[in-house]
Amino acid sequence: MYVNLARRLKTLTINRKEKFEQDRLESQAFSVIVRKETTDFIRSFRIIILLAIILLACFGSLYTAITAISDAIDTGNAERIGGDADLFLKLFTVSDGTLPPFITFVGLLGPLFGIALGFDAINSERSRGTLNRLMSQPIPRDHVLNAKFVAALMINVVLFFTLGLVVTALGILILGIPPTLEEFLRIFSFLVVCIIYIAFWLNLGILFSVIFKNAATSALACIGVWLFFNVFYSIIINLISGSILKPESVTSVSDVVSHQEFILNLLRLSPNYLFSEATTILLSPSVRSLGPLTMEQTVGAIAGPLPLSQSLLLIWPQLTGLIAATLICFAIAYVIFMRQEIRTN
Amino acid sequence: MKKKISLMLALSLLLFALGANPASAQVLLYTPYTGLAVTPGETIDYSVDVINDGDDIQHLTFDMQGLPEGWEYQITSGGKAVQQLSVRGNEEESLSVEVNVPFDVEQEDYEFTLVATDQNGNRSTLPFIVTLTEEGTDATELNVDQPNLQGQTDSSFSYSATIRNRTANEQNYALTANAPEGWAVVFKSGGDNITSITVEPNSEKDLTIDVIPPENASADTYEIEVSAAGSGTQAETTLETVITGSYDLVLTTQNETLSTDIQAGGDRVIDLVIQNNGTAPVTNVELSASTPTDWETEFDNSTIPEIGPGESATVKATLTASNEAIAGDYVTTFTASAQETSAEADIRVSVKTSTAWGIVSILIIGAIVVGIYYLMRKYGRR
Repeated sequence: MYVNLARRLKTLTINRKEKFEQDRLESQAFSVIVRKETTDFIRSFRIIILLAIILLACFGSLYTAITAISDAIDTGNAERIGGDADLFLKLFTVSDGTLPPFITFVGLLGPLFGIALGFDAINSERSRGTLNRLMSQPIPRDHVLNAKFVAALMINVVLFFTLGLVVTALGILILGIPPTLEEFLRIFSFLVVCIIYIAFWLNLGILFSVIFKNAATSALACIGVWLFFNVFYSIIINLISGSILKPESVTSVSDVVSHQEFILNLLRLSPNYLFSEATTILLSPSVRSLGPLTMEQTVGAIAGPLPLSQSLLLIWPQLTGLIAATLICFAIAYVIFMRQEIRTN
Repeated sequence: MKKKISLMLALSLLLFALGANPASAQVLLYTPYTGLAVTPGETIDYSVDVINDGDDIQHLTFDMQGLPEGWEYQITSGGKAVQQLSVRGNEEESLSVEVNVPFDVEQEDYEFTLVATDQNGNRSTLPFIVTLTEEGTDATELNVDQPNLQGQTDSSFSYSATIRNRTANEQNYALTANAPEGWAVVFKSGGDNITSITVEPNSEKDLTIDVIPPENASADTYEIEVSAAGSGTQAETTLETVITGSYDLVLTTQNETLSTDIQAGGDRVIDLVIQNNGTAPVTNVELSASTPTDWETEFDNSTIPEIGPGESATVKATLTASNEAIAGDYVTTFTASAQETSAEADIRVSVKTSTAWGIVSILIIGAIVVGIYYLMRKYGRR
């Protein structure tokens, strides 16, 4: 019996060793694909053009924010702009009216960047016929999809952290005011939220690239979804809210509140809205609530900035929604890709 | 016949002498104000008319009779002292007679007479009566209108005093006060703080004496001696300051921080400390709180019968936040009101929202991650 056990243990260790070796090889293969994908991204004109646009937009918005802040300081209006103490965060949120602020640009161009990274991930390989060749290599099938996602996400992370830190650094250089730790953590959280948001659009692009065999169709579908949420969704909600908030249908204050909550929740189905709520709360610490407030809640309240932990708790549902939407898109793309027949193409 | 002539001569001489007799009352002295009421130290200025009723020039010398001891007089005309005055017939001259009333005189009527004597030895007189309206002293007077004032330790005790120089000389008075330790006495004249004051003879000046008790003065009656010392004269008076004790209630917390945090819907015990920093006991201290809507406060002891001076009482207040409270700062005002005074404390309460939903959302994300892991395990090795 003991001998038996020893033999079993031995085979188990051999199995473990073999498995470990196999894992090592596989992860090596994975990192090779990731590296290749990243190089492709960096060299592609599509990404270079988008990068240039994003950089221009961000520096433009930084310039407007700095002029707005210096104007306010010059005209003695500093009370208005710096009154709530988080002057540094204003770099990302204020503008002098000529260009939208940083967060608007990121909210607008970030999804385009994500889509551009993802919309032809699989179908371009398929149409070029390289997917078959890739599959003939001794690598697991999901490595292709995962590596494409990881490479795009890496580009995304590097780009947005660079942008955020460059804006912070230029802000320190030009304004001469260093951010406090709290402000820095808020900027960091804001960048993380940006990356999650862009990862959502990236995954949507990958999903469409798996579904549609044609890259152009996939790109159009992505842009369509993006346009829908950016432009049409709020119009539709406005139409709905017009009928819901009709004076005839409202009888009490609690009715107003519940209807308002309902419309807010409809709006929150849009990732754009979740993103804008999350960034507003993160970059404006004095905002204490996202929904309608009753009189009872405001009696005795003092205006003051929220600590970061409370701001994070406030946008936790939004963050959860964004992360969940991102992961679900990825999961759907994964399942569909794994079940797809490749060789028929 | 010769005898007859001599008789006639004698008669005529007699007649002449008789006729000359009315001429002895030819000079009259006149002044309208012969009876005056004056105060000690005053100078009386009489304007006397000297009227010559006769045809001849009269040469007059003057004397003052019956003037009491210590009184002085001076006769001048046209600004010069007059020894002798000549008045032409049927003319009149005016004289100025100054009488200095001394300070140290009894309060009664004084009579004296101005006598004018002409070259023939005829006398004319002008009697004066002077009534002293008050007792004269050769001293300084320091009077306080209301020497007794009552108040709390933080009240201002302001006495108005009058210093009066009844001496013949100008006096420079040094002002001193004999106040208890820790008390401040400030002399003021015309808004300026002073330590001495100059008063002309027979005049007075008004003073304000501010007495500032120390904050911890206990309830009692305090006497403060105030004196004004000039050269050779001095006056004293006593001020009475009645302190009723002060009421000073302070509401704070055990560790003197006026901020705390609370979970929305949760509660927090705040140790309130009610200190009586005054010098008199406060009674019937009642605690109350003004909170945001739907918040509740409960005190383990909402009424304290008495807190003595320097003592303090501790009350546990349980503050319950509303479920609806949003994250951020709210203000809650606690009030301790006694019969005599009251105190307030604003406490800043930072509301923290429950982390329950945060945990739920982490669980949701965790579930999705587990789902993806399951998918990878299921499809990954194909």
